[in-house]
Amino acid sequence: MGVVSPLGVGLADTALALREGRDCIVPVTAFDTSKCRSKTAGHAPNIGTNDARLHPASRMMIAAAHEVLRGDPSYSPEIAFIGTTSGGMSDGERYFRTSERHQRGQPTMLANYPAQRPVVDALRAIGSRAPAQIIANACASGSNAIGHAFRLIRSGLHDRVLAGGYDALCELVYVGFDSLQAATTDKVRPFDKGRSGLVLGEGAALLSLEELESARRRGAPILAEVTGYGISTDNHHLTQPHPSGIGPEMAMSRALADAKLEAENIDYINAHGTATAFNDSSEGAAIAKLFGSRVPVSSTKGMMGHSLGAAGAIEAVFCVLALADGFLPPNINYREADPAFDLNIVANESRPAPLRAVLSNSVGFGGTNASIILEVPR
Amino acid sequence: MKLLTSHILGSAIVTPLGTGCEAVLATEQNATPPPVSEVVNPGNGRRHWVATVPAATGSHLAREPRLRRASTISMLAATAATAAVASSGITPGSRTALVVGVSSGCAVYTRRFYEQIVKSGANTASPLLFPETVHNAPASHLAAMMKLDGATYTLIGDASIGLQALHFGNQLLAMGDADHVIVAAAEELDWILAEGHRLWRLTSRTGRCEPDSCSGALLAEGAAAVVLARSGGGTRVTTAPGISIASRKEASEALRTAVESLRAPQCDWCVDGANGTWVDSAYGAVRGSARRFSPKAWIGEALGASALQQVVIAGELLTSSGSGTAVVPALGWNQNAAAALVSR
Repeated sequence: MGVVSPLGVGLADTALALREGRDCIVPVTAFDTSKCRSKTAGHAPNIGTNDARLHPASRMMIAAAHEVLRGDPSYSPEIAFIGTTSGGMSDGERYFRTSERHQRGQPTMLANYPAQRPVVDALRAIGSRAPAQIIANACASGSNAIGHAFRLIRSGLHDRVLAGGYDALCELVYVGFDSLQAATTDKVRPFDKGRSGLVLGEGAALLSLEELESARRRGAPILAEVTGYGISTDNHHLTQPHPSGIGPEMAMSRALADAKLEAENIDYINAHGTATAFNDSSEGAAIAKLFGSRVPVSSTKGMMGHSLGAAGAIEAVFCVLALADGFLPPNINYREADPAFDLNIVANESRPAPLRAVLSNSVGFGGTNASIILEVPR
Repeated sequence: MKLLTSHILGSAIVTPLGTGCEAVLATEQNATPPPVSEVVNPGNGRRHWVATVPAATGSHLAREPRLRRASTISMLAATAATAAVASSGITPGSRTALVVGVSSGCAVYTRRFYEQIVKSGANTASPLLFPETVHNAPASHLAAMMKLDGATYTLIGDASIGLQALHFGNQLLAMGDADHVIVAAAEELDWILAEGHRLWRLTSRTGRCEPDSCSGALLAEGAAAVVLARSGGGTRVTTAPGISIASRKEASEALRTAVESLRAPQCDWCVDGANGTWVDSAYGAVRGSARRFSPKAWIGEALGASALQQVVIAGELLTSSGSGTAVVPALGWNQNAAAALVSR
């Protein structure tokens, strides 16, 4: 695995911040937020590079890809599935502003705009010519990429699939969520009665998936097993989930069936938990309906914000770290339970816990829902 | 490289010549250039030739609740997808998956939304526009129209994305995740796209697209859609994942490898993506003795829609000519080389 997020660069820093429940939300410096309600975001640490032309998204993806290879130097993907929402949008913004000033834009301003560019950059950085497929299922993209990769391996179509997601902060998307009044001026408080919205984050995460016996033959380090994937589409509204939670409920049910597990087999749920009124009430209702109040639940977005297309991949990494190290990542900034759903929230501090199976949810604009299940290696 | 094959139960195409393949084939016979218009950057007055679809395209869908505020790309995708489903005879249900391929995606609303931010301030940006800027907005609208609650995916890429989407659809069928897969691809136009491609010296200054001339591509709107199943149709499509490219230097070899991976030594037709730019020489190297059809000369370069348009046209060519096989190579400008084999 490899990860870059506001919690840090690399697995070690990330695990430490996750255990500490570190609040990494800071004032936005990348662009002007003076006319926005929200002023904060989760900024990933700046990744140094010798190539100044590289987009921040490429830098994060390259750093994550290098970490994958450091952990398993002989890993060679046959294909890559990567999720994103905005690609190199900030360079598109730069091009537009140049054009507005009646100046002639430069071709290099557009070179990083295509969403596939950071993926190709990352693959080339690790010497791979594997074909790359970019999934753009909004905020569920990262989980969809991992889920589809898992299904390809389990069906025998591929043995080694690199999967993950990335997104870099950009003004257009930041203002977009602000315009929808989905962004908060407060702390991010997932599942709290007083929650008032999300803040955006950024990052990249990659997971090197491989068929189990193939990985064992190579002597590869096996960190976790993906055992279930569920996808559903909620047709209620382009940006709002059905209040009943039917979308995430279907995705979680399908993932459980795919993994041949019952709800009581799940030891922890990493919820999508954006801290918006609509998402948390819908997802909270679905979790409560399927799992009751037994299973510990947290959203890690209070610490790092919502990294959109990267979120599912980063949170899958968090789940693997939790499985490996035996702890429950905290749901920080939590003050008061929402009486609308009875959940066992991992409030404010991480807790030690022996974990065997965990579930990670992602919910996206357009009604896309994805759930993946990860277990300790057999 | 693993090959996957499915059957095409229905297909549809939307181009500047209208809806359906007949006009495309007739235009090729008559060697008529496509209808063109100009888009203008209002900031600097620069004009760019493009080919847009007829204004009435998709008007029968205008009352769909989800499409009332949707962008052109959603209308185009919906027009093609609903026509493909109608021609397939299937009734979409819970075992029907949807895969939508786009390249620049919802460019018009994206530019308009950012323009509001820049010109009037972030506090004036419209919350009605933003959701339509998201790449999977067309897929969401389509899923809602067809009441699909299962697997829905949007893929982004270059002009080869239609073949990647087809392969993704073939994967879903091969894994047993769906009984039918609707694969759609669409592209809309905006002056900012035309100007960006002009900067890269990729677009035509004459309003014509002349393959092999290196005079530039004619950007176009368009869409295509097919309905795939594991069995049942007269036309089959075989796909592979494609080959990643990072530079022009890698492109020709990547396309040759992609075509060779299909293991189809002698095809009747080659329905290629030649568009008047540097990619054309790569197509020339893989055509062999197959009869050439380069539809972008007649319908323009519809980027994310183009490769799936080529597949639909290939199927129609096989039917109308009584031929057996067509290879469909697609080489994007910045990501991927891919090929599909269409056969009867």
